[in-house]
Amino acid sequence: MAQIRVLSPVGVVKAQTVPVPSLPESWSGRTVGFLDNTKSNFDRLVGDLGALLRERYGVAAVVYRRKANASTPASPELIEELAKACDVVFAGSAD
Amino acid sequence: MAKRGTPAGLIGTTAFQGLAVSEMGAQGVSALPLLVVEHPLGGERPEAIARRAQQAFEQLNALISGSRTATVDRASGATPTGERPSGATGISNSPPAVQADLAAPATINIPDDPIALLEEFTRRNWGDGLPIVAPTEDRVHAMLGGRDGSRTLGMMPPLWRQVTLEKLAVNAVMAGCEPRAFPIIAAAVEAMLDRTFNLYGVQATTHPVAPLVIVNGSYGRSIGLHGGSGCFGPGFRANATIGRAIRLILLNVGGAWPGRYDMATQGSPAKFSYCIAENEAASPWGALADGDTVTVYGGEPPHNVNDHVSTTAAGILTTVCDTAVSLGSNVGWYFSQSQLLVVLGPEHAKTIADDGFSRADVQRFVYEHARLPLGRLKLAGMWGMHDWPAWMNAVTDPTAAMPQVPSPDDIYVVVAGGSGKHSAVVPNCTFSRAVSRRIALSDD
Repeated sequence: MAQIRVLSPVGVVKAQTVPVPSLPESWSGRTVGFLDNTKSNFDRLVGDLGALLRERYGVAAVVYRRKANASTPASPELIEELAKACDVVFAGSAD
Repeated sequence: MAKRGTPAGLIGTTAFQGLAVSEMGAQGVSALPLLVVEHPLGGERPEAIARRAQQAFEQLNALISGSRTATVDRASGATPTGERPSGATGISNSPPAVQADLAAPATINIPDDPIALLEEFTRRNWGDGLPIVAPTEDRVHAMLGGRDGSRTLGMMPPLWRQVTLEKLAVNAVMAGCEPRAFPIIAAAVEAMLDRTFNLYGVQATTHPVAPLVIVNGSYGRSIGLHGGSGCFGPGFRANATIGRAIRLILLNVGGAWPGRYDMATQGSPAKFSYCIAENEAASPWGALADGDTVTVYGGEPPHNVNDHVSTTAAGILTTVCDTAVSLGSNVGWYFSQSQLLVVLGPEHAKTIADDGFSRADVQRFVYEHARLPLGRLKLAGMWGMHDWPAWMNAVTDPTAAMPQVPSPDDIYVVVAGGSGKHSAVVPNCTFSRAVSRRIALSDD
């Protein structure tokens, strides 16, 4: 059967790899932040995780902040606050 | 956060792992730690949450100690050596499908047969499940109509891929569009890429939102866009193919594949094609927007408003308002971005206008009466995760009727349809605001 050539409809990603800071080797005395995306039970999950980090790693403080809602990005002010206050930040993603 | 120099990571669940990994790749931050716990998180009891916290901790422990979690079989939880990581769910941080998405070729050769075309595009997840028109170079060139195909309108979420005019044209050909439809498609995509529309939220949410494209002006009518009887479908090529082109673009250019990156729990028929012209001739109040314009509105499928008996504006709009509100509606929870669209059938519109109502009166009436009492809202829905302004959070009276949208201007009113005592309401997804764009009819 004859062949035809067709173009791909798929968009192309042109992102460059961004170097990301490594996680600290020692967590003792550190401040860990959690950014809640407001989905159900994320607050409880990171409450338990924060307790484990304190108990097992000697994390000194846990900072918890919550986005305004699940479907828009965190405000620049919120990101700035967490970046200044914390040594490591974990953000909740999806459900 | 990481781009600012603060060590960071994500915490997600298994069902959304693919989306997280792909977006991290598209943003260039694939190296970020991703802690994945069992899905779901919502609705789980405290002991189940504690177990998930242990899963996250163990993955973090493995990352810190320098031994990344081994790739494991998701079904069995077994590592390639046959050992099961203790306490872990057996989750891979690199779903194979992500690599395939990023490696799509620019062209492919296929047998010149419509079934072979459908089968190949289906195999590659390049379609919407329906037969397509082969996007040959000649057809794509004709669709571009002399425009520079390499020109980009930006990046489209959730995978942040380049939105070139060529890719829009390829998808428009596949959808069955005539080249005259291309300016409308390009304007609609530009509107969706406006931050106000929040396309990332619209693409990736579990809500069944689809962008409704409403076209005003003579150009749309000249190419066959229909705003009369049966306008929401089926039957009109321009409506069907322009709406379909938008969906194919969202799938193929944005990457919002169902269940992987488009997380709509159940999807919607409106996600196949959702495009109408306003019935400007039947509107007592003129067009929604002046000139040749597209308006994109992130909405649910139309909810029918059946009112066969009212002879007053208040009567019809009371039926509209009652249809517009329910505990299961998304509208009103993220208050600042909530909107409502009222699509009045021509007969309802005439009755309302004959009763002395302007469009602004319709907006005001719906704003004031499309409400639920606070006590009812507290029962379920999204109560507890809502985002309300301070004055609403301060209300304590359970009988207080709470507004759904910030102002009457957030009630959009258009006229569409044909004969009959029916109208429709289209709730938005609560986190996207409608955007309008002029249709550029030149080659600029």
